[in-house]
Amino acid sequence: MVASLYGVQEERKAIWVYLEQEGGTLENVSLELLSKGREMADQMKWQLVGLLLGRGVVELAETITAHGADEVWLADHLLLDCFTIDAYARVVFQALMDGKPSVFLLPATPNSRDLAGRLAVRLRTGLNADCTDLHMNPEGELMVSEVSGFGGGVLALIEMRHHRPQMATVRPGVFSPGEADASRKGKLIRLPVDLTADMIRTRIVERALGRGVDLTRAPVLIAGGRGVEGDFKLLQELADALGGEIGATRPPVDEGHIERERQIGQTGVVCSPKVAICCGISGAFHFVVGIAKAGTVIAINTDPAAPLFDYADYCIVGDVHQIIPALIAALQQSQERSRA
Amino acid sequence: MRELRTVVCVKVVPKPEAVRVDPGTRLLDRSNARAEINPPDMNALETALALKELHSGRVDIVSMGPPYFEPYLRVGLAMGADHIYLLSDRAFAGADTLATTYTLAQGIRKIGAFDLVLCGEESSDGATGQVPPGLAEWLQVAQLTLLSEVEVDLASNTARGRRQLKGGYEILEVPLPCVVSVKTACNEPRFMDYGIKSWAFAEGRVTVWNAADLQADPECIGLAGSPTIVSELAEAPFRERRRQFLQGTPEETARQLVDLLKEKLSA
Amino acid sequence: MSRWEQLLTEEIRVIDEDLWAELVELTGGTASLCYQCGVCTASCPWGLVLQVPLSVRTFMRLTQIGLHDGSESLWRCTTCAQCEPYCPRGVKITDVFRSLRNIAWNRRKVEKGLPSLLWSVYWNDNPWSQPPTQRSNWAKGLEIPVYDPERHEFLLYVGCTSSYDRRAQRIARSLVRLLKAAGVSFGYLGDGEPCCGEAVLSVGHKPYFREISQQTARLFLEKGVAHLVAISPHCYDVFKNHYPRMLAENGMLIQHYSQYLAQILEEGRLRFERPLDLTVTFQDPCYLGRHNQDYQSPRRILKAIPGVELVEMERCGVDGLCCGGGGGRMWLETAAGERFSDLRVMEAAQTGAGVLATACPFCIVCLEDSAKVMKTEKLQVMDLSEIAALAAAGE
Repeated sequence: MVASLYGVQEERKAIWVYLEQEGGTLENVSLELLSKGREMADQMKWQLVGLLLGRGVVELAETITAHGADEVWLADHLLLDCFTIDAYARVVFQALMDGKPSVFLLPATPNSRDLAGRLAVRLRTGLNADCTDLHMNPEGELMVSEVSGFGGGVLALIEMRHHRPQMATVRPGVFSPGEADASRKGKLIRLPVDLTADMIRTRIVERALGRGVDLTRAPVLIAGGRGVEGDFKLLQELADALGGEIGATRPPVDEGHIERERQIGQTGVVCSPKVAICCGISGAFHFVVGIAKAGTVIAINTDPAAPLFDYADYCIVGDVHQIIPALIAALQQSQERSRA
Repeated sequence: MRELRTVVCVKVVPKPEAVRVDPGTRLLDRSNARAEINPPDMNALETALALKELHSGRVDIVSMGPPYFEPYLRVGLAMGADHIYLLSDRAFAGADTLATTYTLAQGIRKIGAFDLVLCGEESSDGATGQVPPGLAEWLQVAQLTLLSEVEVDLASNTARGRRQLKGGYEILEVPLPCVVSVKTACNEPRFMDYGIKSWAFAEGRVTVWNAADLQADPECIGLAGSPTIVSELAEAPFRERRRQFLQGTPEETARQLVDLLKEKLSA
Repeated sequence: MSRWEQLLTEEIRVIDEDLWAELVELTGGTASLCYQCGVCTASCPWGLVLQVPLSVRTFMRLTQIGLHDGSESLWRCTTCAQCEPYCPRGVKITDVFRSLRNIAWNRRKVEKGLPSLLWSVYWNDNPWSQPPTQRSNWAKGLEIPVYDPERHEFLLYVGCTSSYDRRAQRIARSLVRLLKAAGVSFGYLGDGEPCCGEAVLSVGHKPYFREISQQTARLFLEKGVAHLVAISPHCYDVFKNHYPRMLAENGMLIQHYSQYLAQILEEGRLRFERPLDLTVTFQDPCYLGRHNQDYQSPRRILKAIPGVELVEMERCGVDGLCCGGGGGRMWLETAAGERFSDLRVMEAAQTGAGVLATACPFCIVCLEDSAKVMKTEKLQVMDLSEIAALAAAGE
């Protein structure tokens, strides 16, 4: 058995959360992980530490503390301004070897997955990726990760008995962010950063990051498929009326009616809105996986035999182009009545 | 101008919909499942073959698995790859990502000098997506992940790629040699070349290496080299939905929906 | 630019002797018969929906010379063979298109989506990327026995589209009900039913098709199949006309289901006792009608149903308009406004018929889609088996 660089004997009983930030703003998934980390720390009566890297990001420490961290470990450096795997892996590795936490959680985003993957090998420890749930087992003080495989058909519970840190990545939207408590107090620990430019092999040639669509935070999701025939303006109207977001299956995305960031499903976004309204979608399995965790699923399709109806709570056999305008009108009427 | 040397990591996986968990033994039951090349690896293969067309050179396939992987990997030869290296040993079984990436890295080093290691984004069975960065760490090379487009410049010895993220994109460049993973469905894999298919299946070069051939540290491979253990396995519970059909004209249905939405969104 | 400069910079197309030889071999030299009269272009249905008709004549000319056009036009052909009865020299035009497509595959210049089609057949045994283990889900509850040559009159070959497409599944179920009502003993291959490979042949990958046909033929021989009845005319055509001769030599009888029904109707084993009050017009599937010269079997059945009045569309018999689904086009996007089936449902509506009947899963899918789009609400699209099942005795 290959040993991790530090083991159970040397570990500090703490839950560490890697906090992803972009341009000085914390990503929502960081708050979600802090919330879950806080829950796990409370259960074990352990400390919760937030690890933050960046440049000029010290003012985020307040928010991190407010969301549950007992300590914020901060690495602030010019060369950490933009994410590069070499710089971030080096600094996070040094922090982990310093702090030796029992548990280390990261978001399953493109950059953090890269970070987690390299670090797990560097530390010679295990990594549970894309977990759908986490909990602590007080017996043995182990973290238990729930992961799914085979396209969601199989669930596995995974543990690491001898290796530390116990690493796990979690997709955005799996956990909910808690409420911020501004009265919470926490420690800020500034880390020395040992970085020079020649240590970084990645050259950023071009970067154009948008506002970033975050479907995982939407309480209402209006998803459109082939049956919508590209009319996403109509769905946007409904989304605006309900304070939600629009999404789509692959065909409208491929046809250029809507951005790929809004594609829902196994190869797109998996979200858990309170209500998902699926319009003109037949219901292939790889789409259904994207809304399987929705509170309530409403499906509208002209085909009474559409497979999606098997996965929906409320089914309407009808034309999206008639139902949605009627729904928008009914919502307006209802709002007017409640104002009157 | 020298030629491009690429290694593609390919995994053979059971077709997902048919995998079950045996209720008695609580072990995976793949007996009903047919196998296929992990679809994202097909995209990696296509990327490698397209780069070979541009830069000449060779494309080798490396895979860790039991002997039955062989006919599936030969499909890669029929698509245009040059050689298959199958890392096969009972001792490799039960490997999690740490042990798998270690073993693959040993294999890649034994194949020889390389410019590019290409991987699919993730596999349809485990779907951890951790092999590319893990491999890059073992091999001590740079990495570019989730690329929708890949370019290589042998003159400047660099690889460049485009990544979609956060509603935008970035174009990154790293020195060769490096590990690259490509975004699932970033291209359409070419079908097999029937001009070479018979050759690929009959005489195509397959080299099988075991743990000793790789000089693998027995502590680092298979179950022994895996920090994570599966404590429980179950079929995912199927969330039952109401499947209630609403009746009426669009206006009547809309009114029912408004009431429903009020109820569900206020909770 | 002067005329000289223009001439000097114009692309010169060099005739590739090897390509010419390959084309002759692939097409059996059929294109050499063509004398460029252009009747093929005139009869091609693409002329009905495009500003500039598809120049079939040009494709024949290029083939004669040994040049290749791999553009999008090559993939428009639905292999409906509307041109073939009119060709004064009997050129096998459909096969020329398949051969040109074969060369496109060799050059890896094919329409997007087609490599994925072939991979689907390779990994899943069907062109619809559906799980092979779900192939017989349509038959749940119907208790169809596994084919046994000792006990069963024939093997029912369902086909990939009727197995997986929700609308086409209803054809399969209706046919099974009908056969049971007539007391016919038959079996099928369940999840183990292999793909006939027609999709592969229609997009021109001849070597892969050859491989599939050999494998499937061998399987049929192993299972002792003496009589096969196919639901789709595409499967029927490929088994009858493109499969290894070993099947015919072994005396295997291959029928489309309409032909089998017409046969047992004549034998008195199929009776229609429930009268239906329907005016029906029939869409001849290209692969039953023009490709196999059978326009009569479906009509014999319809005429035998009491209460059914049969009317014909303007383009009927050998001039029947293709639904647009053949030639691999079920897997390619056809732009709105360019769909043959849109025209066809309008034609059907003009006959005053209440039902547009057909006997092909591709026709059903295309025509029903068009009926929705063209809003011909009064027209119902039904399969022959569905109409017959309603009228059969013993339900």
